[in-house]
Amino acid sequence: MALLQISEPGQTPEPHQRKRAVGIDLGTTNSLVATVRSGSAEAIGAADGSVILPSAVHYSAEGVTVGAEARSRAGKDPYNTMLSVKRLMGRGVADVKSFGDQLPYRFADSDGGMPQIETAAGSVNPVQVSAEILRVLAQRGREALGGDLDGAVITVPAYFDDAQRQATKDAARLAGLHVLRLLNEPTAAAVAYGLDQGEEGVIAVYDLGGGTFDISILRLSKGVFEVLSTGGDTALGGDDFDRAIASWIAGEAGLGTDLDVTTQRALLDTACAAKEQLAQEQSVPVTHGDWQGTLNRATMAEILDPLIDKTLRACKRALRDADLAVDEVGEVVLVGGSTRTLRVRERVEQFFGRQPHAEIDPDQVVAIGAALQADVLVGNKSGDDLLLLDVIPLSLGIETMGGLTEKLIARNTTIPVAKAQEFTTFKDGQTAMAIHVVQGERELVKDCRSLARFELRGIPPMVAGAAHIRVTFQVDADGLLSVTAMEKSSGVSADITVKPSYGLEDEDITRMLRDSYAHAEDDMAARALREAQVEAERALESLLAALQENGAELLSEKELNAMERGMEALRLAHNGGDADEIHRRIEALNEVSEPFAARRMDASIRRAMQGHSLDEFDE
Amino acid sequence: MSAQQTYFDIFGLKPAYDVDRAALSQRYRELQREFHPDKYAAKSSREQMLAMQYAARINEAHTTLRDPVARAGYLLELAGVEVSPEQTTADAEFLMQQMMLREQLEEVRDAADPAAALDDLAAEVSGLFGGEQQAFARGFAAGELEAAKNSLLRLQFLAKLQRQVEELEEDLLD
Repeated sequence: MALLQISEPGQTPEPHQRKRAVGIDLGTTNSLVATVRSGSAEAIGAADGSVILPSAVHYSAEGVTVGAEARSRAGKDPYNTMLSVKRLMGRGVADVKSFGDQLPYRFADSDGGMPQIETAAGSVNPVQVSAEILRVLAQRGREALGGDLDGAVITVPAYFDDAQRQATKDAARLAGLHVLRLLNEPTAAAVAYGLDQGEEGVIAVYDLGGGTFDISILRLSKGVFEVLSTGGDTALGGDDFDRAIASWIAGEAGLGTDLDVTTQRALLDTACAAKEQLAQEQSVPVTHGDWQGTLNRATMAEILDPLIDKTLRACKRALRDADLAVDEVGEVVLVGGSTRTLRVRERVEQFFGRQPHAEIDPDQVVAIGAALQADVLVGNKSGDDLLLLDVIPLSLGIETMGGLTEKLIARNTTIPVAKAQEFTTFKDGQTAMAIHVVQGERELVKDCRSLARFELRGIPPMVAGAAHIRVTFQVDADGLLSVTAMEKSSGVSADITVKPSYGLEDEDITRMLRDSYAHAEDDMAARALREAQVEAERALESLLAALQENGAELLSEKELNAMERGMEALRLAHNGGDADEIHRRIEALNEVSEPFAARRMDASIRRAMQGHSLDEFDE
Repeated sequence: MSAQQTYFDIFGLKPAYDVDRAALSQRYRELQREFHPDKYAAKSSREQMLAMQYAARINEAHTTLRDPVARAGYLLELAGVEVSPEQTTADAEFLMQQMMLREQLEEVRDAADPAAALDDLAAEVSGLFGGEQQAFARGFAAGELEAAKNSLLRLQFLAKLQRQVEELEEDLLD
């Protein structure tokens, strides 16, 4: 057996060097970034010490500002200040119109896909706006950790569909982040608590934000988090509390229902302030214009209870989906600013029959959990102690005759998951077909969300019904869908082109990357080279580690030599200045190392099968 | 994990109807700990793809084996007996029982105490389901595949009825 070659120092990073990884909570109202330093996770502050970055982006001819400064311009310059852009992620123009006047933007006409917003700095889309927020957070991470980031875990709501997840991942790509994983927010929150306390059992994560409610039921057992079910309401949150209280004030003050925007805004501010004060006080004076009144806790409970009831019904449903009774829930975790409202805590405690966890700041708990997971995924921490098994939040289906959906993968199925379905041709000599993939629970296609249309081409011409096309739908651990197809009798794989209904195609992202560099006066070529180099380093490092582990055992001398030549060629390309050449060499190395990867897998399987099958088969 | 390996092979279990759920869960976690794509986040893209495929197959195996109806169907499939989810039974006695149970379900809403009526029905269906599971296990173990197939058809009907009972329960709650 040939000896293994070890690279020169400096060509690949030291294997035991600590990696720089962050967890990012990309929120509707606020965002933040956290990391693990000296063993504990903490949020990373800006230069002024503030941890929370308002999810606001302001565009002007002079440039882009993000955060508190951008938000402060919303009043004076609403058309150029993007707030709550998360609500537009993965959405189409029609969805945006249904939000009505809640979003005061000037939407450019587009072809029905992703909405474009006109600003003083040109037109932007939601993915680009989110990327601006991520850039600021990534920069905080780089400054705090002293160098380029090796990876990030970004959190998304558990109910996010494929298009929304893809949009989030695209935004990260635009911001130059290497995404280790998209993590569900409730799972992240449970990680933040579970790891600190080493609890075992069933956990309910009750997440009430400004505009959304989300409940997840998880099981923690020996370091494995399993999401059993998720549910919620995408249009229910603390803002609705404010509206309910505001309408109570309006009623008490005899204002009627037809109020102008300024009055509405003033009432909402008064309502929000009263709500927050009631966390400390038994009752608070409320004034609006000449009217004066008092709001006490009992009255507020009456006002809020119908809304809180809705959240508890969703909890019941999620428990049923998980096949659990309420007394089987061992821990309850509160997430989101609206869980600061006392009445919410009381009702949640009553419902679950136990005091909920709120020790970690409900605004930071998600980012902290994401940072812990990022630390494991990037390889800083032995992964043996933590594994997250997530589920797909909404059923995936395809359109069949008459606009009906046929479900392929049911909601709450653990991911990753793959499902194959066979199709046949309708006409003689047919060489192409289109598959429309939708997500949702309803019977009719029009009531579900359209995800994408997959066009299959290159089907061998046969008589109608003779071709058997096996289409495999795969959802990865991030909850993202991919589709492959093959004609069974001929073994010909069909070409698939994806037309995302509300997303970006690869060329769009490339173009936006180019635009963003031009915008930031960054050098696209230098950036692309650096990214290719990082990818090369990652590939070399993982292969080297694999070779050291069991290269001698699993490879012939000839194979080992071929692989070493491939690695050497990649090292040379890495030190040269041509990004394309690096990508070609990575591709070539991937090809030679493919059998090795498969054999390593088989070896792991044999290891995993041993010890068990013996005693269980011999009984 | 080759395509030839059955779900039972993957979980190191004997191909029989009775499955130790605790052992199944534990084995599932052990396998995912080994093959979940997160364990390959720092590995080559090729290994990441393989891990995703394996993890998907482990999930599929787990979902099938822990579900009493899917497990029965899978065992019959392995034995070369195909049963489609839409297939119905020609057993007259069972057809009569189906009709009575459906009627009972429809009458729940008009009962004096709908919640109690629904509870009674749920208990009855659950009892029938348990009995049918035993019948399937016996038939399959004895190699009486036709009898086992009939049991599976009854299990499919009862499982569907159980879902309808749950949906009605949810409606009554709201």
